[in-house]
Amino acid sequence: MTDAPVDDDPLHCERFPTLSPDGQRMLDFMLGHPCAPLYRNKSGNRLLAHEVEAQRAYEREVGAASVGWLPDAVPDWVPSIVENVFAQVPHYRALGSPPRFLEDVAPVSRADFAAGIAQFVPDHVPLDRMIHFRTTGTTGHPLLLPSHPVVAARYAAYHKRALRRVGVEPAHGRGQVGVVLLGYQKQCFSYVSVTPTMDESGLAKLNLHPDDWRHPDDRARYLDALAPEIVAGDPISFAEYLKLPLTRAPRALLSVSMTLLPGLRERLELRFGCPVLDIYSLNEVGPVGVFDARLGGHLLLQPRLYVEILDRAGRPVPAGEMGEITVTGGFNFCLPLLRYRTGDFASLGFSDEGPVLLGLSGRRPVRYLARGDWINNIDVTHALLPFPISHFNVHQRADASVALRLAPDAMTHAGAAQAALASLFGQQMVTVELLQADDKTLQYTSDLAGAHS
Amino acid sequence: MNDPGPDLETLTRRLADTPPDFMDEPRVGGSGRVAVPALVNDLAGMHGARLALAVLDGFKGQSARSDRNRLAVAMICAWLLADPWLLAQRLDPASLVQVLAEVAAEMAAATPAHRFAADAERREELVRTMLGRLGYRPAGETPIQAADRLAAISATERRRLLEASRAAEQRAREIREALARKVAAESADKWTRE
Repeated sequence: MTDAPVDDDPLHCERFPTLSPDGQRMLDFMLGHPCAPLYRNKSGNRLLAHEVEAQRAYEREVGAASVGWLPDAVPDWVPSIVENVFAQVPHYRALGSPPRFLEDVAPVSRADFAAGIAQFVPDHVPLDRMIHFRTTGTTGHPLLLPSHPVVAARYAAYHKRALRRVGVEPAHGRGQVGVVLLGYQKQCFSYVSVTPTMDESGLAKLNLHPDDWRHPDDRARYLDALAPEIVAGDPISFAEYLKLPLTRAPRALLSVSMTLLPGLRERLELRFGCPVLDIYSLNEVGPVGVFDARLGGHLLLQPRLYVEILDRAGRPVPAGEMGEITVTGGFNFCLPLLRYRTGDFASLGFSDEGPVLLGLSGRRPVRYLARGDWINNIDVTHALLPFPISHFNVHQRADASVALRLAPDAMTHAGAAQAALASLFGQQMVTVELLQADDKTLQYTSDLAGAHS
Repeated sequence: MNDPGPDLETLTRRLADTPPDFMDEPRVGGSGRVAVPALVNDLAGMHGARLALAVLDGFKGQSARSDRNRLAVAMICAWLLADPWLLAQRLDPASLVQVLAEVAAEMAAATPAHRFAADAERREELVRTMLGRLGYRPAGETPIQAADRLAAISATERRRLLEASRAAEQRAREIREALARKVAAESADKWTRE
């Protein structure tokens, strides 16, 4: 490692309240490496000293707890959550007195959050350190979800729980890089940080897209130099990761955001000789479950998250029947959840280790052929970001032409949205059609060979 | 408020003793257990009247957001209006239902239904409001005393409502501003990004 000047940005201390000289050296190493990518953003752990200690205790607690509820038995911690939320959260307070039974709480969906997210933030949550996570998601237009540095840090507790199941106990520490998060997008939030609960091991979120590197070959050199213990990404970034001539392998891969198809998982396991965990995770909820082929589905990870499977009318379906995954509880104290309909579908099974989501039908990665290159569906989302459209579908036909399907109320944006997509795919390649679906729409679809990498 | 009515204490005690069935979940959309139109129809029957079905439409719940608390208050009002003294008055069914609907809607705007059973001040507010709308005053009070006390309670409640509403608007604005800050967009470390 080489010494580099300390960051003189006045917000540096807010990003890294507990940063030591060793931690600074780790940041300098990741930023100053001759093969480093272009880091486009800045972020940090933002944890205060007492929060670092609390996080360690939280990880121990989550590691030791079980997801102990049984079929048709609402856990005993749920009624107090219902009562607190009805007392402290404006949306629920407006509904009147807390109901005696969870089943009497009217479910909410992303559309309710989009209509007024402030109504779902409890009265007591201080706002001075509030952060947000933007979901560009697949279920609607972008939404800013309230969160907090402590909430972001808590993700690690659930990842460690999932990793422990496959015999991986993260052990990175001072002077090592712990986690690298991979993206593969034309535009990607990228930055470096350190993890104070792991003795300021390095954390980098980087974009494998060649546009963010001085030379495409730097990608493998840099990742080998970082030698992260854990690599996280989505199936699209992992498909690119597989192509790199890496000489070092992580101890585990964490795949989130989209369905990880078995073929890609096997290739990753073979190539890196380590476990590949497919984690079902949502910005609104955090890591929900980890896939286990032996259990036939995603084992639930959060001891304080109750999952129901609801039919279209909002009624619970019997165990084993498919329906919408609906969650209560969670660990984001800025956004406590009461019967939040996720927009994803599964049935619920039970194993010795706890409840399991079976047949999860979440999001399938789609890539599009644009001017001769494959691009990520997230790039399509970025192109459509300026438009207030909640339901849409971008479909690439077998001849590579693209149909943008918009709901009737979004047709006023048709011309501008078509032009935005034409800038990606080329003039004359994009047509606009009317979308005739009123339910959750598969937003990214393609008939083109190779679209599902 | 011109006619002498029942004892205030008797009615507030009745509210304090509201049976669990009257505090169960009103049927709204596909959920809940109590059909409030049927409950109101039963009440009218106890007052010796039959109602046209259309009169009961306002007691059907369509959305939790707009109807749940109102119908839950209506259930408690129905229990109150089944008090023996009031039953003996054989109230006009049309005005009975209209008063019930109006009072439930007004009270529900600011207060969770079950507080009209659990909280002494809210019990008194509901009883005085209901009696006033029906043209009665509590036993032992002059019309002026009854009007003054109801006005005092209502004014306090209106002030509380106004302050709560202002505070809620300000809080929502502050949350939106906090979410929009540049530093909020910088976010914080997660081991994975969805």
